[in-house]
Amino acid sequence: MKALIGLGLLFAIAAFPQAGQSQRDSSLDRRLQRGREFLGLGAPPDAAAAARGQKLFATSCSFCHGANATGAEGPNLVRSSLVLHDEKGETIGPVIQHGRPDKGMPAFANFTPEQLYDIAEFLHDRVYQAVNRYGYQIGNIVTGNPAAGQAFLAQHCETCHSASGDLAHIGSKYQPADLQALFLYPGTQLHLPISVDIETANGRHIDGTLVSQDDFTIVLKETSGRISSWQTDQIKFQLSDPLAPHLQLLPQYTDADMHNILAYLVTLK
Amino acid sequence: MKPLVLLITLLSSLLCAQGLDPAKLVQPATDTWPTYNGDYSGRRFSTLKQINSGNLQSLSIAWMHRVNVGALRGIPNVQIKSTPLEVNGVLYFTVPDHVWAVDARTGTELWRYEWKDQGGHLIGNRGVGMYGNWLYFLAPDGWLISLNAGDGRERWRIHIADAKLQYFTTMATVVIRNHVIVGVGGDAMDVPGFLEARDPETGALQWRWYTEPHPGQMGAETWPNAGSMEHGGGMTWLPGTYDPELNLLYWGTGNPNPVFAGQSRKGSNLWTCSIVALNPDTGKLVWYFQASPHDTHDWDDVETPVLFDGVIDGQPRKLLAQAARNGYFFVLDRTNGAKIVSTPYVGADWAQGTDAKGQPIPNLHKEPQTDGTLLNIAEQGGTNWFPPSFDPETGMFYVNAQKGFSLFYLIDTSANPEGYGGSGQTLWWQSVLEAIDYRTGKICWSHAFPGTGRAESGILTTAGGVMFSGDQHQNLIAWNPKSGDILWHFHLPASVSNGPMTFELDGKQYLIVGAGDTLYAFTVPTQK
Repeated sequence: MKALIGLGLLFAIAAFPQAGQSQRDSSLDRRLQRGREFLGLGAPPDAAAAARGQKLFATSCSFCHGANATGAEGPNLVRSSLVLHDEKGETIGPVIQHGRPDKGMPAFANFTPEQLYDIAEFLHDRVYQAVNRYGYQIGNIVTGNPAAGQAFLAQHCETCHSASGDLAHIGSKYQPADLQALFLYPGTQLHLPISVDIETANGRHIDGTLVSQDDFTIVLKETSGRISSWQTDQIKFQLSDPLAPHLQLLPQYTDADMHNILAYLVTLK
Repeated sequence: MKPLVLLITLLSSLLCAQGLDPAKLVQPATDTWPTYNGDYSGRRFSTLKQINSGNLQSLSIAWMHRVNVGALRGIPNVQIKSTPLEVNGVLYFTVPDHVWAVDARTGTELWRYEWKDQGGHLIGNRGVGMYGNWLYFLAPDGWLISLNAGDGRERWRIHIADAKLQYFTTMATVVIRNHVIVGVGGDAMDVPGFLEARDPETGALQWRWYTEPHPGQMGAETWPNAGSMEHGGGMTWLPGTYDPELNLLYWGTGNPNPVFAGQSRKGSNLWTCSIVALNPDTGKLVWYFQASPHDTHDWDDVETPVLFDGVIDGQPRKLLAQAARNGYFFVLDRTNGAKIVSTPYVGADWAQGTDAKGQPIPNLHKEPQTDGTLLNIAEQGGTNWFPPSFDPETGMFYVNAQKGFSLFYLIDTSANPEGYGGSGQTLWWQSVLEAIDYRTGKICWSHAFPGTGRAESGILTTAGGVMFSGDQHQNLIAWNPKSGDILWHFHLPASVSNGPMTFELDGKQYLIVGAGDTLYAFTVPTQK
């Protein structure tokens, strides 16, 4: 099940060519906040407390509940209803302090209230990392054979592109996940104008770039800069989409082709 | 007339003026549109023809009703996704956290009900169900609320699903005799899906059917262990359909969990991503057909299972058809779930053909991979929640579909992944309205909408020889359903965001369309 809205943000790793780390972080923060609102997650966990809590958890709890709290001999705490209903340790804390002797969980009576809060925040952070998919990070995707990728480009792409020309340094401009989506269909990240040639009823030709189009109306920015709107049944028109060759290639790639091309493009530093 | 007789007449007419006559539920919708889909069949076909292919040029706006609720949490622009009910001259419709009753003749607000949620997703609300004088509304955070249809006062509320576990509730309830059928959504936290029936008077639970088996039950062999079943997803977030003669309730179930990471739930994962037939009195499973065994692409199979009777190889058959989100068009014998048609209506290279039952066989190489998998279908699948339509006069099934290409990534590679566990991304897509021959699954005609973006409008067919739907460019469009020719259009301030519906009142046929935050009523001039 998927939110129809917010899709653009969902997992889409926004392209920030040559962006600094801080810009990347703020983009991630925005996505996470969007996810929190949409998913109804409330305030984010206290990151400093969660970091402290992780150390306590590793020492005292991970043996039974796993390092990531996803369960081992003891139950998975990320999916625990008790954890999900806890706000700031008020229900998690007493369970840790008193244990669950009937289920084989010992009591940990020596933790301070602050430490119990830290452990609770660690668990909330684990839940948050799992639930807030807006913050998921794609892993290492550079797995292909660069030589095979280079050969594919030589065969299919050199009419428009060259490694020493427009593709020079592309491997240092984009993160691999962005680059993969970009070369498959650049329209995901770049808005390249579509050229329009309109022939009016009296035979006049008007050139420009497409602003919008539906079944009834076409709007273009004329070469002069004027924005004009035309009824599609009153004119003839031709569109020239610079991305058309990319669309023609999409059905032809195997997954191996895709991985190979990416492996080659990332070498173009 | 004697006073007592007068009083009784007055009382009964008052009752009639508010309540829903149960007989209306099993008649073709004309003066009443008593359920989300207009009737139990899910066809969204109206026998009305005052508005027809000959007078569309005079079709114009009779009234508008804008809901001034502003932005909702996480939702900057509210959309009316609900299909209004129309009962005795009153329209009942919703957006998340809100219900309205408006005068069907004027759009004037009669009452509104507002809920303060404590969580849940506000992605949409499909509308209300009705029983007598009572409405049944689902608030996003798992509350089933019964309202008095006469004044919008709350009668009772029952908490059916826990938003803290990431359940949320958006569907329009389906009322079958004395059962209020309720489904749930939510796949962020690996919780089990279920469908349940509630008593319309008290809200008491009558039955609950889980979309996963328990260990030891039939279907448990399609999961590796008890834990995977307990966290297996399979939500029930769109209204199903019903055949009163067979007394079977048909429902589509959602994707399994974890969503994109299937390594901890090897097997076909019954009854997720399935069309199921249940006995509405007991909640017992009668048959199932699994559209996506072991789904790993988030393609819920909740799309409306549309019911109609047809002729296959010269034999009259009771049929069920679905344009599934996984890109397949299915036609089944609705008495037993036997396959008649199982064929893609958009690209579907995630599958490598179908098995003996007609169920697609997933191509394991097309499951999400860490370094990405390229698929010939949009990330959202071939369609989604927007209602399709079946026109018995053309024999065609109509669906707003998307063609596209997408990338899927596996992110959580651990043995026990959680939540989504991966991601998907559409590279390119195009919206296409398709007319499909139910006997063969062949595309009779298709209309590709220019430009990118997704048409998310429902479809209405009518005996007036007109089909209504919308594009992604804010046009309400009327088609000739047989040829696919566009007959008429009207540019609105927002794209059609619900399933259009129609009814007749005082001799006038109304076409009702939700677009963004506004409900529009269209009529043609009639002789005085």
